[in-house]
Amino acid sequence: MRRGVQISGAGHLALAVWLLVGGWLPDRRPDEADFTDVTVISGEEFAALVAGGGAPDAPQVGEEPAAPAAPEEAAEAPEVPAADSAPAPQPAPEATPAEDPDPAPDVSGVAAPQAEVQPDAPGQQPAPDSPDGAAVTFAPDETPVPREAPRVAPLAAPEPDAQAEVSDTVQAAVDPDAEAEPETPVEEAQDATAPEEATTETVTEADEPQEAGEVVAALAPAGSPRPRTRPAQPAPTPEPEPEPEPEQVAAAEPEPETQDEPEPAADPMADAIADAVADAVSDAAPAPSPSPSEYSGPPMTAGEKDALRVAVQRCWNVGSLSTEALRTTVTVLVTMNEDSTPDTGTIRMTDFSGGSETAARQAFEAARRAIIRCGASGFSLPAEKYGAWAEIEMVFNPDNMRVR
Amino acid sequence: MTLSRLLASFAITAALAMPGLPAPANAQGGPLRIEITEGVIEPLPVAIPPFIAESPAAEQLAADLTRVVSADLTGTGLFREIPQSAYISGVSAFDQTIQYADWKAINAQALVTGAVNVDGAGNVTVKFRLYDVFSEAQLGDGLQLDGGSNAWRRLAHKVADQVYSRITGEGGYFDSRVVFVSEEGPKDARRKRLAVMDYDGANVQYLTDSASIVLAPRFSPSGDRVLYTSYETGQPEIFVLNVGSVQRQRIPVPGDAMTFSPRFSPSGDSVVFSLSQGGNTDIYAMNLGGGQPIRLTSTPAIETAPSFSPDGSQIVFESDRSGSQQLYIMPASGGEAQRISFGPGRYGTPVWSPQGDYIAFTKQNEGRFHIGVMRTDGSEERLLTASFLDEGPTWAPNGRVIMFTRESAGAGGTAQLFSVDISGRNLKQVSTPGAASDPAWSPLLP
Repeated sequence: MRRGVQISGAGHLALAVWLLVGGWLPDRRPDEADFTDVTVISGEEFAALVAGGGAPDAPQVGEEPAAPAAPEEAAEAPEVPAADSAPAPQPAPEATPAEDPDPAPDVSGVAAPQAEVQPDAPGQQPAPDSPDGAAVTFAPDETPVPREAPRVAPLAAPEPDAQAEVSDTVQAAVDPDAEAEPETPVEEAQDATAPEEATTETVTEADEPQEAGEVVAALAPAGSPRPRTRPAQPAPTPEPEPEPEPEQVAAAEPEPETQDEPEPAADPMADAIADAVADAVSDAAPAPSPSPSEYSGPPMTAGEKDALRVAVQRCWNVGSLSTEALRTTVTVLVTMNEDSTPDTGTIRMTDFSGGSETAARQAFEAARRAIIRCGASGFSLPAEKYGAWAEIEMVFNPDNMRVR
Repeated sequence: MTLSRLLASFAITAALAMPGLPAPANAQGGPLRIEITEGVIEPLPVAIPPFIAESPAAEQLAADLTRVVSADLTGTGLFREIPQSAYISGVSAFDQTIQYADWKAINAQALVTGAVNVDGAGNVTVKFRLYDVFSEAQLGDGLQLDGGSNAWRRLAHKVADQVYSRITGEGGYFDSRVVFVSEEGPKDARRKRLAVMDYDGANVQYLTDSASIVLAPRFSPSGDRVLYTSYETGQPEIFVLNVGSVQRQRIPVPGDAMTFSPRFSPSGDSVVFSLSQGGNTDIYAMNLGGGQPIRLTSTPAIETAPSFSPDGSQIVFESDRSGSQQLYIMPASGGEAQRISFGPGRYGTPVWSPQGDYIAFTKQNEGRFHIGVMRTDGSEERLLTASFLDEGPTWAPNGRVIMFTRESAGAGGTAQLFSVDISGRNLKQVSTPGAASDPAWSPLLP
């Protein structure tokens, strides 16, 4: 092992030396020559170029192309390059001689207007006449010219609705006379229609807000406060058996795969999951065909069952039931036709609870009316699963509809 | 449990609980099972074609009788009459075959057909049938009623009672009467007298004159007598009045005690009332056949408004023995009372329902008056109304409807009778000739 360390150390050392020293070693590769096209001009030509325009001021302005943009107001102090820059109140000594030798008091006063007109300064700056690229670098011509606004819309305007002009229906005419009242549309006489009075809950007068002008603005409580029922404590679950210490297990059985796991029944998590699975199965699993041995197709999904439930409850009217019938849960069995309509002759009550036989009979009548009414045109049931819904057991539980 | 098993279990649970995914097929045998827990609350559409007049003399009577039957049913708020203009086929003969399809098409869920005949002696015969349209079957047997021509309204009420009972499963209340205090004049000088009428406000008859103030009339269980309180001697005293003969009799009590707030026992042979003497008010019972009053409560508090349970074993009353006006229940023979009202505000005028399951009461809380109901143990308290002044509930014979007094505010305010379903729906005013208060419902007439 030491030998390996030595080899590794030597290798790393060599790499470090190469990195440090290798850069100083002469490069045997030939240098690549870079050639740049340049234009050589004489000093006279350059002077002539300078004398031909105001471009020389531009490099002095540097990164502030707006500074030399002195508007007309800046005539008294034309040499102030950057009026909005406080540290630069002094004009350049090489500037053109100003007629006013005392620019100091005017600089501050001129500074503000210059700042306002600064956006326009690049446009007012004289463009260099020289085609020299060096000068053009700072020329304001580089400013992108705004693209012209489209004069023609990309899409043609839709044609006016011809029916609006030839329609026979009476409409308010567009009268240029603003004072003229619009013509009242003539409506055809028709019978008044309104949805049936229906509700899913009862709101008493005591539940309604108190009208203004009554003695007290506060609402009376709907009922006397009652202490809430204390939630039932979960049944104590047996403590899982403590897992054996690893050392002990290792001592007893060297292979950890063979450790004894706790009993599944003693695991509260496993119990909870098992219960959840059982509940889910019992809730989600649809009942198969009345002849399970004959029907082996796909079962009813929860959505399909919900659709059936909603269709039936839409017609389950408990408004005329007695208070006792409203406490009675009835179980109704119905055989369905293949066109998803109920076979009305087969509707029968198989069980009831919570009320007397008389009350159960009234509750059953209401349930039967619901099945017949809303099933007259057929329930929304998958035809390919007829075997699953050829016989349906409906439990009508009015607990939620009872007046509390 | 290993982590993999845990995840697998969660995956299984989530997959099964996810809606829209097919569940394992054939997890349990038998038919497809669904549970309906939500419905609608709406009046039941009923078709009531005009009753057929089987004799020329019965034409007007048939129309009137049909109108009363329809008003009885629709007045409950549980039924909605389908207008005749919507009928596809009518009923031209009492025994004709019913075209159920025609009635289904207009969503008539019940159909009432009837016929009226008047013989030469003026006797009226009414017969009717009730059909469950969607079941295409007759609901109960046909029924025939006979009576005098002056009793045609009662015949109509009895037909409506039968229809109501067959559809709802509980007894009707249309063939009943209400005794009340008819009021006239300004609020500070009001004249009061006892009156009795049909439950719907028809056939008003006055039982007393307005020479003295009368209060709190109460029907006997048989409906032939009325207990009430009168101030004709200057202080409140209890009288019992025979409705038929309008003869009255004072219930004697010893000394100069004031008696008020009487009510019959379920048997009708005794009465329970409040007796105030020496500044203390307690509840007493007395046999109408004779004897001395029996004291049932003995506290320095004001205890009044007693009402028997239907079986006569208990009495509910109001008392301020706890410092505020609350409801208590005690044995009919007296003894320890148990408080049943614990909500905010003050409770009074308790009345036990004919079915024995509820107690109606007046509640005053936060400046408003309410009519409410609660279970006999004080649970399930529900307030049905709210107004400036609601008080004095009385139960319909079937325990489904409560009638009470509602008085409007102000110097010109008047008292009127209102009724409300025990569910809190169908609150409406009862028609009376003028101002009215203190209603008391009779049992169903024989």
